Amino acid sequence: MNGVGARVEGVRYSYGAGEALRGVDLAVGAGEQVVLLGPNGAGKTTLTRLLVALRRPSAGRVTVGDWDVAGRRPDEMARRVGYAFQHADQQLFARSIEEDVAFGPRCLGRRRPAVGALLEELGLGARARLHPYDVPAPTRKLVALAGVLAMEPPLLVLDEPTAGLDHEQRDVVLAALRRRAAAGVTVLSVSHDLAFVAEAADRVVVMREGRIVADRRARELLYDREALAELGLRPPATVEVSVGLGLQGRPVRAHEVVAAMRGIRWREELSE
Amino acid sequence: MTALVALNRVSFSYPGAERPALEAVSLEVLPGEVIAATGAAGAGTSTLLLVATGFAPRIVGGTLTGVRTIAAARCGVVFARPWTQLTGLCPTVRDEVAFGPASRGLARADVLAAAERALERLGIAHLAARDPAQLSGGELQRVVVAAALALEPEVLALDDPAAELDPEAADALYDALPGLAAAGAAVLLATPDLGRAARVATRAVAMADGRIVAEGAPEKVLTGTEVARLARAAGCPPPWPMDLAALRRRVAPDTAR
Repeated sequence: MNGVGARVEGVRYSYGAGEALRGVDLAVGAGEQVVLLGPNGAGKTTLTRLLVALRRPSAGRVTVGDWDVAGRRPDEMARRVGYAFQHADQQLFARSIEEDVAFGPRCLGRRRPAVGALLEELGLGARARLHPYDVPAPTRKLVALAGVLAMEPPLLVLDEPTAGLDHEQRDVVLAALRRRAAAGVTVLSVSHDLAFVAEAADRVVVMREGRIVADRRARELLYDREALAELGLRPPATVEVSVGLGLQGRPVRAHEVVAAMRGIRWREELSE
Repeated sequence: MTALVALNRVSFSYPGAERPALEAVSLEVLPGEVIAATGAAGAGTSTLLLVATGFAPRIVGGTLTGVRTIAAARCGVVFARPWTQLTGLCPTVRDEVAFGPASRGLARADVLAAAERALERLGIAHLAARDPAQLSGGELQRVVVAAALALEPEVLALDDPAAELDPEAADALYDALPGLAAAGAAVLLATPDLGRAARVATRAVAMADGRIVAEGAPEKVLTGTEVARLARAAGCPPPWPMDLAALRRRVAPDTAR
């Protein structure tokens, strides 16, 4: 599966009196893994909604691959852009988890979509026949993600994909996203979770008050304590441990940090 | 001190559920406490909040067994999905936050004062004139917490209240909790955010499969932090919990890196 890129140029958007986007330019390359960071109300979610035609900019141009979004309906955009809402419940409606996940591919004309493997991948296999509302809210988030992945879109747009998830579920989501990334799928996520950034981002775009204020390589930004502090952020635990222990090679992902820690000899007894 | 809420071997099942969501749970909630409940998805922390505040089974249905005593005059609950509890009736954030105290039949001046205090406390006074339907997810979450706070509850139950907040707002919200508790209210928190919970909680309970599996000081119970996970994976020996300072002390002086 090859990814598609997306581009917004000179984009503005207003909710009534307040301007949520004040001239945004952003190009995401095919296959890139980008996280949008920024304080609440910065315009992150608004920006992502322009990519699926759920909102139309008051000025500027939005393209996904070679499609100009202005001429497309949201259901057409869904063929190229898989969008997982911040609130999973906004996109669940079927009577069972498997039907919900199969809905998207059915709409694309696949008669018998094979959703079993996908449900297994997200740890939902045993719950396939349950009603989506009979599983806990964090699990519903995985159901919504499965529904998006089932359509195999070349661009994934995920709004807070790890918010509210426990460790195990986070690991499941990260593994699923890594597989898509390895297959070339483009992923644009909105997140406040720097541990997620560490695991899943190549590039971080920071928004504030409707504008892009920084655009950095993820690895570079996560070790830039000053820049993070300016954004009101603290480095993720992986970077704290790496810096605290003086690990080599600037690891940011958990497996990299653990590998770098392998050389350490531990004291068996702690003297106070 | 009289408990605001006392659960004695309380079990609870949602309507039509095969398995109870809470099983034989005993917990006392005292004034001034900030209790953090943690567990994997489905462990029962959200249900614990609903049962302890009387929402379950009264509002959601289901069956409760065991002995539950709720002495608190008012309980405020903030659900994990904040938009589900907007009234949908209020054109501004100020009205939304004032809705609770107004429903209590307070005098108009008191209603407005309670709303202003809650808005200030959550740092969202600047949103007061906005339409709640047009807020971002994180802004909305703070509005809903403010609305619960404006009720001046004796028990405030918060279900993952910072899930959608940016880190600064999340810190501010968590850091405000001890202050609420010091004012005589108890805070009951369900959260996967062990780091922030450990900072503000006076007591923690760990849950699994509807049961309380550990209870005590936060630093004893909330051991699943990121640093501890990395340390464990890298073969660092116990004791747990492990924070960065403890991890650094564990490194042998002559170690090569």
